[in-house]
Amino acid sequence: MSDGALPHPDLVAAIPRLRRYARTLTGEASRADDLVQDTLARAWEKRRLWQAGTDLRAWLFTVMHNVFVNQRALARRDARNVSLDDDGDGREAWQIAVRPGQQARVELVELLGHVGRLPAEQREVLLLAAVEEMKYEEIAAVLDIPVGTVMSRLSRAREKLRRAADGNVPALKVVK
Amino acid sequence: MNAPTDFDLMAYADGQLAPDRAAAVEGLLARDAHAAARLAEIRDQNRQLREGLDAWLTEPIPERLLAAAAPPARSSAVPWWKPALAMAATLVLGLAVGWFGREALLDRQGTPTTFPRQAAFAHALYTADQRRPVEVWANEEKGLVTWLTRRMGVQAHAPDLNSVGFALVGGRLLAGHEKPTALLMYENAEKQRLTLQWRKGEPGANETAFRYAIENGVSIFYWIDHDSAYALSGNLDRTQLLAVARVVYGQLAAAEATPSR
Repeated sequence: MSDGALPHPDLVAAIPRLRRYARTLTGEASRADDLVQDTLARAWEKRRLWQAGTDLRAWLFTVMHNVFVNQRALARRDARNVSLDDDGDGREAWQIAVRPGQQARVELVELLGHVGRLPAEQREVLLLAAVEEMKYEEIAAVLDIPVGTVMSRLSRAREKLRRAADGNVPALKVVK
Repeated sequence: MNAPTDFDLMAYADGQLAPDRAAAVEGLLARDAHAAARLAEIRDQNRQLREGLDAWLTEPIPERLLAAAAPPARSSAVPWWKPALAMAATLVLGLAVGWFGREALLDRQGTPTTFPRQAAFAHALYTADQRRPVEVWANEEKGLVTWLTRRMGVQAHAPDLNSVGFALVGGRLLAGHEKPTALLMYENAEKQRLTLQWRKGEPGANETAFRYAIENGVSIFYWIDHDSAYALSGNLDRTQLLAVARVVYGQLAAAEATPSR
């Protein structure tokens, strides 16, 4: 039950974006929320590492990325759980991205399907750059990789999406 | 200068290329139709992704994640966002903070009332909600005012803030400390949101001075007029918020002076 403390407004405000990032990483809505919960718990544990005045969202993304990488490493050690491999684990989550109220455009559904089949490391860079509109340098800091690696992953992700989209052109014309 | 690379084109599309390189990319775009098409494609892809994935942001937040956003029970003597509070004694009051029905852990930092703190929390919670920030939308404005009046037990008013660029989004009712709290939300063209919250029955108070507080990054002007407490909250700076607060105060005073419809 309640321990008497209120949810922190800044964290509450960050939750929707954390859930989106988690869904990008895990590819599953339910597992994504587990990851968000673990991330918030870790953020409270590590709160002294956050520097006041810096971007809380970026710091929380960093925490989430690390939690995810650690959990994936553990899961891989567990032979039973091989579903976290990098190939196509995002399909389910990405297909439900177009909500009922939203006009379901064929191109968008196709695009998100292709994004779901990208390796997780390319998906997350794409999300952070294209959707969260973070600077490459910020992404590099969140993922703890060189800026050049951010750009090459992003470039590869976009190249794959382009090739996939080219392959779909005849089908799309038929659907229209 | 070197010829623009694919990375330059990509960074340009993402709006991240240094100005000196941007000129080179613009030169390339002017003479190379293939590069121009690629640029349009990346931008279109970015736009589609945002459009598709922004829908996720409006989903309601599960209770377990809200609980995880609260300080953990034992180890949270020092709130991380405000270390100074570590020095202050904390006092648990059986204060129902509305929609959670939780107890509030109130800090003792000399605030004359906990109202601004609660106002800041409600502000942060509901302005972040894209899909259902209010219970009653502004297109039922007459119904909104009537409803709040009935539920609050006093004549409610929805100030018109269009003169300062904010349109009424709608309102909701919160369970406050003993008495209900009404919340009205406004939004400007930049999608910045303000909330005006008020409740009846501030004991022994009859003052009208504006007070200013910052609670967890939310700016708040609050004041007590007759026996109602008001709080105007927003992620604006003090000067901007004060300008809005004056408009609100003026309109409420004018409304009080004229008989109810």
